[in-house]
Amino acid sequence: MFGQGLLKGLEITWGRMLGKKQTVKYPFEKIEMFPRFHGRFQLDVDKCIACGLCANACPNKVIQMEKQKVDNKQYLTKYVMRIEYCLFCGLCVESCNKDALKFSSVIDMNQYRREWVRLTLVDRPAPESKKTPEEAPAETAKEQAAAGKAAPGKEG
Amino acid sequence: MKTQTYYLNLGPQHPSTHGVFRIILELDGETVVKATPVPGYLHRGIEKLAEARTYTQVIPYTDRMDYLAAMLMNWGYVKAVEDLMGVEVPERAEYIRVIVGELSRIASHMIATGAYGADIGALTAFTYTFRDREYVLDLLEMVSGSRMTFSYFRVGGVAEDLPEEFYPAVKKFLAELPGMCDEYDGLITGNEIFQARTKHVGIIPPEVGINYSLSGPTLRGSGVNYDLRKVRPYSVYDRFDFDVPLGKNGDCFDRFRIRIEEMRQSGRIIQQALEQMPDGPIQAKVPKVIKPPVGDAYAEIESSKGVYGCYVVSDGSPKPYRVHFRRPSFINLGYLGKLCEGWKIADVVAILGSIDIVLGEVDC
Repeated sequence: MFGQGLLKGLEITWGRMLGKKQTVKYPFEKIEMFPRFHGRFQLDVDKCIACGLCANACPNKVIQMEKQKVDNKQYLTKYVMRIEYCLFCGLCVESCNKDALKFSSVIDMNQYRREWVRLTLVDRPAPESKKTPEEAPAETAKEQAAAGKAAPGKEG
Repeated sequence: MKTQTYYLNLGPQHPSTHGVFRIILELDGETVVKATPVPGYLHRGIEKLAEARTYTQVIPYTDRMDYLAAMLMNWGYVKAVEDLMGVEVPERAEYIRVIVGELSRIASHMIATGAYGADIGALTAFTYTFRDREYVLDLLEMVSGSRMTFSYFRVGGVAEDLPEEFYPAVKKFLAELPGMCDEYDGLITGNEIFQARTKHVGIIPPEVGINYSLSGPTLRGSGVNYDLRKVRPYSVYDRFDFDVPLGKNGDCFDRFRIRIEEMRQSGRIIQQALEQMPDGPIQAKVPKVIKPPVGDAYAEIESSKGVYGCYVVSDGSPKPYRVHFRRPSFINLGYLGKLCEGWKIADVVAILGSIDIVLGEVDC
């Protein structure tokens, strides 16, 4: 009989009408991400040995890093990720031997301007060599960097 | 009275072309006299980009071809590199590949089904398939960390083992999958208006399909039993019991219908793979810097759109000398011009939708 299929379809949609809601009211209610989710990057500067494996693993040359040699040890002074070119493939995180570079579950990285998207994970001066007592200012810079603040902090 | 034909430009910003695809239609009234497809609006030169990347770094780019079934795109490429290097992939990795690959196929077919319904005018079905696709994307996100561009495959295996929370979630999904397919059948397939729009429209005869080198559901809709997973089993597909759904008439309706059937079969494959999956390593011993010997390799897999092939040429350096991708969507489009002739404008939308193209793959 013609129209049977239409009635069947109506039956399905009417049956669903009183069912559970499938969506969440996004800005007010957020879905929790899975542990492996590829969100914003975070860098544990204490673990990082500035080897540059992550920068080499990147297919798009997203990672720009600068380092200085201080007392026979590489010291990371700058670590900038050009997120606007990032593919979020995770090859950099995978290449990190020291577990310093990781993904967080932060998803809202949207900015109004392209330059603001750039992620500065570390930007600090190298400490003076031969252990001078001027460690305090470097320490605070390190803390700021560890917080992984997005470039110039113009969120939203 | 003297009439003349006129030209109508369909696309590239038309929603029913599923992306940035353009067809120049020469029309006589509402009837198509000639259809000229114009691809290329999404060309990014992935094959050329690959030449400046190391073998591992190409993997994220393959994601960007068929972004609706990115796992399968990864698979074809890594398989070619593995063939080139002669790497034996561990069994567990093969099973994981089958599971995530079939999940990707289901996600892709869900889009094909829902978007085709929306093309014809059954917009409700679109929301249903997208709701269910979220389940699949959640599963794949659990595994790989991304929702669409996974970059999960590696040369010699996969990036990470399946997480613990994946198993109960996939079991729940598999239990619900037949019900989901029944829902699509009830909403779209059984709908008389839908059938009137798609049955006996855009018929591809089997011999024409073979001559034009069509593959995937587009070819099987014409009743040609050609599924790489059956005829030339790769990976561990010879160990699973599944059917290849075939169409009878080769019309739009058949091509649409067998995608829903394929989803059911994919569910069966995943079920068997989960049962048979052995323990063991997920990554073969592959050097950190991949330098395949001088030579070339071609590998084919059955992607959700058809036979996806990858040809890799190595000159012994850490970067591929040349990579070529045989993209099924692009080749399936080869017959579109002839197929549209004689049909009305509205049928062009129905025919194009039934081929199920992804423009990222067509233009590469």
